[in-house]
Amino acid sequence: MRATLGILGIAIGLGASGVGIALLLRGVLRNDVAAMRAGRACVFVVLAGALVSVAAMEWALLTHDFSIKYVAENNARSTPTLFTITGLWAALEGSILLWSLILAGYLSFTAHRFRRRLADPMVGWALIVGLTVSLFFFLFMAVAANPFTLVEGLVPLDGRGPNPLLQNHPLMAFHPPMLYLGYVGFTIPFSFAMAALITGRFGEGWLADTRRTTLVAWGFLTAGIILGAWWSYEVLGWGGYWGWDPVENASLLPWITGTAFIHSVMVQERRGMLRVWNLSLVIATFALTILGTFLTRSGIITSVHAFSQSTIGPWLLSFLFLVMASGIGLIAWRADALHAPGRIDSPVSREAAFLANNLLFAGLAFVVLLGTVFPLLAEAVRGSTLSVGAPYFDRMTAPLGLLLLFLMALAPALPWRATSGEVLQNRLLVPAYVGAVTMVFTLIVWTRDWSTVLGFGLAAFAVAAITRVTFVAVRARRRADSVGWARALGRTVAGNPRRYGGLVVHLGVVAIAVALAASGSFGIKRQVRLTPGQSVTVGAYTVTFVKLHTRANAQKSSVSADLAIVRGGDRLGTYSPAISSYRNANQGIGTPSVRTGAFEDLYLTLVSSRSGRGRVTVGIQVQSMTVWIWIGGGLMALGTVIALAPRLRRRPAEHPLPGEARPGELVGAEPS
Amino acid sequence: MKHPLRWAALAVGVVVAIFAIILAVNVGTDPRADLNTSRLLGKPAPDFSLTKFDGTELKRSDLAGKTVIINFWNSWCRPCRDELPVLQQWYRAHRTDESVVMVGIPRDDSTRAIRQAARDDQMSWAVANDQGAKSATLAFATRGQPESFVISPRGIIVGSVLGPLTPATMDQMVRVGKRNG
Amino acid sequence: MNRPARRLAWIGLGVIVLGIVVGIAWPSPAESRSEHVRRLALEFRCVDCEGLSVAESATASAAEQRRDIGVRIDRGETDDDIRSAYVELFGENVLLRPATNGVGVLVWALPIGVVLLGGIGIFVALRRWSRQPRLVSTDDDDALVAELRMPHHDD
Repeated sequence: MRATLGILGIAIGLGASGVGIALLLRGVLRNDVAAMRAGRACVFVVLAGALVSVAAMEWALLTHDFSIKYVAENNARSTPTLFTITGLWAALEGSILLWSLILAGYLSFTAHRFRRRLADPMVGWALIVGLTVSLFFFLFMAVAANPFTLVEGLVPLDGRGPNPLLQNHPLMAFHPPMLYLGYVGFTIPFSFAMAALITGRFGEGWLADTRRTTLVAWGFLTAGIILGAWWSYEVLGWGGYWGWDPVENASLLPWITGTAFIHSVMVQERRGMLRVWNLSLVIATFALTILGTFLTRSGIITSVHAFSQSTIGPWLLSFLFLVMASGIGLIAWRADALHAPGRIDSPVSREAAFLANNLLFAGLAFVVLLGTVFPLLAEAVRGSTLSVGAPYFDRMTAPLGLLLLFLMALAPALPWRATSGEVLQNRLLVPAYVGAVTMVFTLIVWTRDWSTVLGFGLAAFAVAAITRVTFVAVRARRRADSVGWARALGRTVAGNPRRYGGLVVHLGVVAIAVALAASGSFGIKRQVRLTPGQSVTVGAYTVTFVKLHTRANAQKSSVSADLAIVRGGDRLGTYSPAISSYRNANQGIGTPSVRTGAFEDLYLTLVSSRSGRGRVTVGIQVQSMTVWIWIGGGLMALGTVIALAPRLRRRPAEHPLPGEARPGELVGAEPS
Repeated sequence: MKHPLRWAALAVGVVVAIFAIILAVNVGTDPRADLNTSRLLGKPAPDFSLTKFDGTELKRSDLAGKTVIINFWNSWCRPCRDELPVLQQWYRAHRTDESVVMVGIPRDDSTRAIRQAARDDQMSWAVANDQGAKSATLAFATRGQPESFVISPRGIIVGSVLGPLTPATMDQMVRVGKRNG
Repeated sequence: MNRPARRLAWIGLGVIVLGIVVGIAWPSPAESRSEHVRRLALEFRCVDCEGLSVAESATASAAEQRRDIGVRIDRGETDDDIRSAYVELFGENVLLRPATNGVGVLVWALPIGVVLLGGIGIFVALRRWSRQPRLVSTDDDDALVAELRMPHHDD
């Protein structure tokens, strides 16, 4: 029943995608508005189909319908409700189902938003491209990765339950959907880019049409990646949040090219340049989301989260090939018309800085891509594998990252077109001093590691530059409007949300850069054996093992060690890292316990409770400034939201003459 | 093909096509197939010095001239438990055979759990979890558990299996060991 | 800020930056044994975990390998000796940072080459653009404008 309903939903999605493509094609080729309208309606039918399928799957999960193979493999009667719901994305087939739903959602939103421009071939073609992607995913589900396949033989009395790592932390409820909202969102700019190439209208129109959707997708992808890092930190227990694992790299790659795109579009909007580059970036971003899915889901690379399913490999690879071939083919076909007018007048200008920014992002993407696939290439060439791990990625990305940080500090001071050295010197002097003094301070007080010193210094430089440019604007607004600082700040931001949202995102990046720079140099890592009552001092902390707890329920049995933490005479409380054994897995899964602080985290893990005589082995780590990664992620999300806000048109009434205060309003007073 | 952009597109296309072909060829092959064979095959076995549960020492030199089967295991690893009947059966059959010896070395476990498991399952071939055992897991370049090696009477590693042994692989290992004697 | 003061300020900044460079480059005290072990352990893949280094892993084999690295350091083996000893044992894929001989050199050289080429390309383009004269007004143009702006005396 539920399986039938689910398959019906997939069939509806598949059929509506196909019919929609046919109708829209007829519409754009024959200028048939009625066909266009019918084709557009199909988009909503696709959404309905996806909704039916997802609802059927959730229904099956919640009612533990183990006649469906996917449910039997990813759910058990003992699975808590939260992880029963998240079972939808616990394995490949369900993830593809979620992917289809999100895609249908984005397509419906686009169809709705451009309802008044239905006759516009650009919109028509974009919907055709989008529906083709949707057709692929529904076909993929119908043939190769059917989530509603029934179990063979008898229906099991209980299911296997999800992978222990996926039912260990509530962040699992948010990280994958966020990531998919990001991944899938790039389908829309991709569709419009292809439509621009097909219709020959590769001016700035398609950029304006997709600016917000691109930003939304980028924001979700950013949030998804940061949440993933947070999940790793809270669950995996090695004290890190980023391991340069192939799956992590697969999510980072479209983020890098997407970020490059968000910057380079501004050059095209202002100066009409970089058309081919922007189209290529969008096509590459979309292709990288498919490549990432292929790499992580086809079992071609082993990794913590890779599902090995070799039957789906050829599907994803063929689709990737189709995307790349049509993208490259269309650009080659349009080569003569794509040449853009315009040039960059001066190397000391905002647009030149964007060029450098894009070069660095492209370099970064290349490093990550090459490092991720190099083991495969090496194996193909000489028959034996080699590893490309964190030491490689750290060494290659650090210089690029630091250069990007430097550009980020420079860019707000650079105007469009050209500037005189004198103006630039005036704008940069104070921020540069702030950066230099920070470096001296870091050098004396903390460390002499070059990447940390440089990272901290450039971060301070960037913050000072952002503060300066904002301060100058707010001060001018305050004088012009005769209002308080807070109000002036609000008006400044509302007057150009895109710019100030961007600067907030940059502040978030700075916070993350600081955390990354700090993680390289400071940190203690110890593994100690403790008997009850015994203490150990690590850094400034004294850790005392109080006692061991054992807890068991149907889902898992856990052993946790109560550790009392004291620093400098202050009791900081008791923390209880644990090891849980899940019914469906061999090895215990650790649950670290973290005491988060503004400058350092105390990261506790229970390594082993089997040593005998009540002894436990505990991992104790002091990590520097990790919390700033999560804060930075929050700032990036906030900045994205601000940048999405519509620009506020100022009403004349908001310009009271100087000295003419409205009742109840402070004039020129600084808010306390 | 006049426009330079077309050449660029062609170049990118060729690179992508080569890349896709490499990926396509790799799909379906085990990404770590080449990791499953030990690099120690054909080389002299490393020295080791282990402690039996009765407290006596067991050195590599004590076993010269015999075919030695070394089995790395853990009490908590399920595949190790799976192969246990094979080992028990083989051990019963060859207990009196002076020319072959089996040694069970713990790989990643606690001292107490190893001792208890060895007692419960009558694994008389197992040795204690001490520094000697830990050194041996590295000296034999073990990459997981269970992992088994066979050393010929001349002291050369002539076979290795990563993963649980079956009666057939067990017999084959002993045959290979003796043949190379 | 006036011109000489600003110049002085930038010279001051230059001096500070020079000091920072000297501070970073100044030979640091020899690394301790545990730092040395950790630095090397970070370079090796933990053989029985997924994607972690020997330094980060909590498995018994990683702990043993860390101990072994320490023993080898005490024995006077160089970093390269230790690296090749583990490559001998486990194969080349035990190195998380590919060696720069053989195929491995590509993974280092290709990205550096691409970024350098791109940088040179942008540099050349910017130079070519800045050499092309911008449309500037000639004296004749200026005279024409001035003439048009002039109030007409004959009115």
